[in-house]
Amino acid sequence: MTEDGDGGDLGEGVTRKPTVLLCIAAAVAASVSVLSTAIGPSSAVTFGAVGAVIFAAGLVRSRQSALDAGALAIFAGIVIGGLEQTAVEPTVVGTIAVVVAWDLGHSAVALGDQLGREAQTRRLETVHVVSSLLIGLFAGTVGYAVYVAGGSQPVAAAVLLLLAAILLIVGLGRRRGRSAVESRSSLSRNR
Amino acid sequence: MNTARIAVLFGSVTFLAAIGTVVGVFDLGLTSETIVFVGLVAFGIGLVGLSRAHGDHHHAGTPDPEQRTEVPVPGRSLTDAVDAFRGMKSSVVVDSNRLTAKIRTAAIVALTRFEGLSDEEAVRRVEDGTWTDDRTAAAFLSESEELPSRSIRRRLAAVVNRSDETRYQTGIRHAVAAVVAVSTEPFADEGDGSGDESDRSAAEFSRPIDDRNRSSLSTYGRSSVSHARSRSNRRTTTDPVEDVTARRPRPTGHWSGVGAIALLAVGIGAIAESPAVVLAGVVGVGYAGFAHATEPPALDISLERTVSDDDPEPGDDLEVTLTITNESGAFVPDLRLVDGVPPGMAVTEGTSRLGTALRPGESVTLEYAVTARRGSHAFDPALVLTRDLSRSTEREQFVGAETTVVCEPSMRPLASAVPLRDATAAYAGRIRTAEGGSGTTIHSVREYRKSDPLNRIDWNRRAKTGDLATLEFHEERAARVVVLVDARLAAYCAPRPDAAHAVDRSVDAAGRIGASLLATGEAVGLAAIGPVSRDATGRSSGDPCWLAPGSGRHHEVQFRESLATHPQFATLPPDGNCHWRRQLRTIRRQLSGDSQVVFLTPLCDNASVEIARQLEAHGHPVTVVSPDPTADRTAGQQLSRVAHRVRAIDLQRAGIPVVDWPDEESLDTVFARHAGGRR
Repeated sequence: MTEDGDGGDLGEGVTRKPTVLLCIAAAVAASVSVLSTAIGPSSAVTFGAVGAVIFAAGLVRSRQSALDAGALAIFAGIVIGGLEQTAVEPTVVGTIAVVVAWDLGHSAVALGDQLGREAQTRRLETVHVVSSLLIGLFAGTVGYAVYVAGGSQPVAAAVLLLLAAILLIVGLGRRRGRSAVESRSSLSRNR
Repeated sequence: MNTARIAVLFGSVTFLAAIGTVVGVFDLGLTSETIVFVGLVAFGIGLVGLSRAHGDHHHAGTPDPEQRTEVPVPGRSLTDAVDAFRGMKSSVVVDSNRLTAKIRTAAIVALTRFEGLSDEEAVRRVEDGTWTDDRTAAAFLSESEELPSRSIRRRLAAVVNRSDETRYQTGIRHAVAAVVAVSTEPFADEGDGSGDESDRSAAEFSRPIDDRNRSSLSTYGRSSVSHARSRSNRRTTTDPVEDVTARRPRPTGHWSGVGAIALLAVGIGAIAESPAVVLAGVVGVGYAGFAHATEPPALDISLERTVSDDDPEPGDDLEVTLTITNESGAFVPDLRLVDGVPPGMAVTEGTSRLGTALRPGESVTLEYAVTARRGSHAFDPALVLTRDLSRSTEREQFVGAETTVVCEPSMRPLASAVPLRDATAAYAGRIRTAEGGSGTTIHSVREYRKSDPLNRIDWNRRAKTGDLATLEFHEERAARVVVLVDARLAAYCAPRPDAAHAVDRSVDAAGRIGASLLATGEAVGLAAIGPVSRDATGRSSGDPCWLAPGSGRHHEVQFRESLATHPQFATLPPDGNCHWRRQLRTIRRQLSGDSQVVFLTPLCDNASVEIARQLEAHGHPVTVVSPDPTADRTAGQQLSRVAHRVRAIDLQRAGIPVVDWPDEESLDTVFARHAGGRR
């Protein structure tokens, strides 16, 4: 069917295509994100539509670069829409949706390539969808709360928050790298 | 280490300041210029991060243990196929590496074998181009003939069809088709089938020979796997795994780019003073933090595998149940498992792969069915990939759970008699010999000698004429047969890569031949020529198979066990070659003088011919039973089929009967036909 229809023409091989549940979830999330651009200007809608098409192609053909490009285009549409309007809710919802779609799309491709479409992967996929959504909702809620509570200086507060987040990520990231080294050495000790 | 702490410290302080600003405890005098500056910095960092992060996704590739190990089809490349003709020539040596010269050799060999020409005559005919009706082929192999000029119509057709075939390729295609036609003409019923064949080989010739490998390479390039593991791999791992072997976690780059995009958005939002876009960036930063927050849990799982039948017949469906239990106290959010199905068996129902999440102490089961094939099959360790909750690191583990299925060959006796040579041992049996003596079938009448037994005197003649004469019957003796299986690397080939290969068929045939001969009271032995150990390193892992001819129930059980479990008969192709001359010498030394040999070989190389000839020359009558592994889909495969036929003809000329066993026919049919042809 597809030009890289790997496995399919080998008959009994593993169908290394994106898994069904994650694909559906990613498609739904991508649709939500495109819908959120719909209230913005026409250029935003165009970006969203084009991005959705590329994203869908990436899902069908299991191309990760197409997923990246599609999600980026949708996000560009969301940003353009966000610059034009005063309400922040559609932008936040759209961003969460597009990141979830991108995350699940990549997971679907990787999972499909590793286990194939036929394998039982329902529980794994459910955990993915739920965790991805929860993180987005949490981050969105915190940001939105700051925005609402910030009153006079929302942007200043957001920028400060951001700096805090970056510093924390850098610090935690370093720690994580070190602990990975530690776990490696403990592994070799066990042997 | 210190910088990390400082970063965390400052981060916390900034966070508190931000909260303070939000709540309104103090008013931070951030001017719009400062915000724009911070925005620009964020934008720049985002751009740099984005350029670095592009295309950084990794995930571990998985092998395909659910399929059987593939074996080559004879004549995978045209060069291999024509090389096989080199050793077949008796006197004329055109020693050149050019493909044309090699095809010329093939043509000469085919002419001498199938048309009965002498070497000189064959060389002459190839040189003056009278060996075939195909002028293109004749001119291509001849040095004196000119290629026929293509007609305008042909050229136009070539342009229209956009065939990118050069004249050289056309020549090769025609020459190969002509050689194949020479070899099929005496047998072919459909008259001149060369046109049809050349069309078929044309379709395949333009295709790259190794397209299968190439396509697997291209698909594998997509998931940028850091350690090389080819797609066509049929095993999870070949290393022994006792309990759990873990590799260190690797980043998957699943979230790569999300932080950069988030910073870009924050930068744009700050510059444009758009709270919505800044908030979009904040969401992205949240995901980036999530990506860094979690670690893959140390895996502590146990596998338990049960197979519905430990001692199945070949062809039975086996239910495999794999139970995976999370023994650790931690939640495993992402577990991907590929069971190590033995390379000799194929999954026929369900899948041997599972993706799941496991709570502490929870277990899940995976069920699938495999078809049992002959041999001893040990399950490989299962490949387990775990990721943390954020999918940003992946850890690869091999978890061992030892299960072995031994599937003995069926050993159904054959319906038709096994073709044996007239060589028998000194004791009574059921093979009718040419010698006179006691028996049931009249052989001759001769003069009475003093010690002749009374019951063999022809009393009718005595009553009629008064002379004493003695009846001679055909002596009936037992044969002493050694079934010899060719299990060298070259014998592991099949008409299709996933079909039963020649060694599988040979071993199955050995079982059936052994069963029928044992049933009629012959003494049957078993031997094999081929690598003993499967891995390249383990050299002294055992002796080659040798079971001295014998009979009886106990012997039959031993015979069957050897066929099922001796490593030489493994269904998995060996890694390397073996010293077949040394093995043959050992076998010759062990063979007693009155033994004959049934040699099962696909006749895929000249060494198999050499083995049969040496045994015959040392006084052991040889019957060759040849499971034909050749195909006719490409030019190379067709030439390999010609080479296979040439080898069979050479053996027959040397007085060794060859029973050719095509892939689609049963051994009974083939033996019945052979017996009919001999009569």
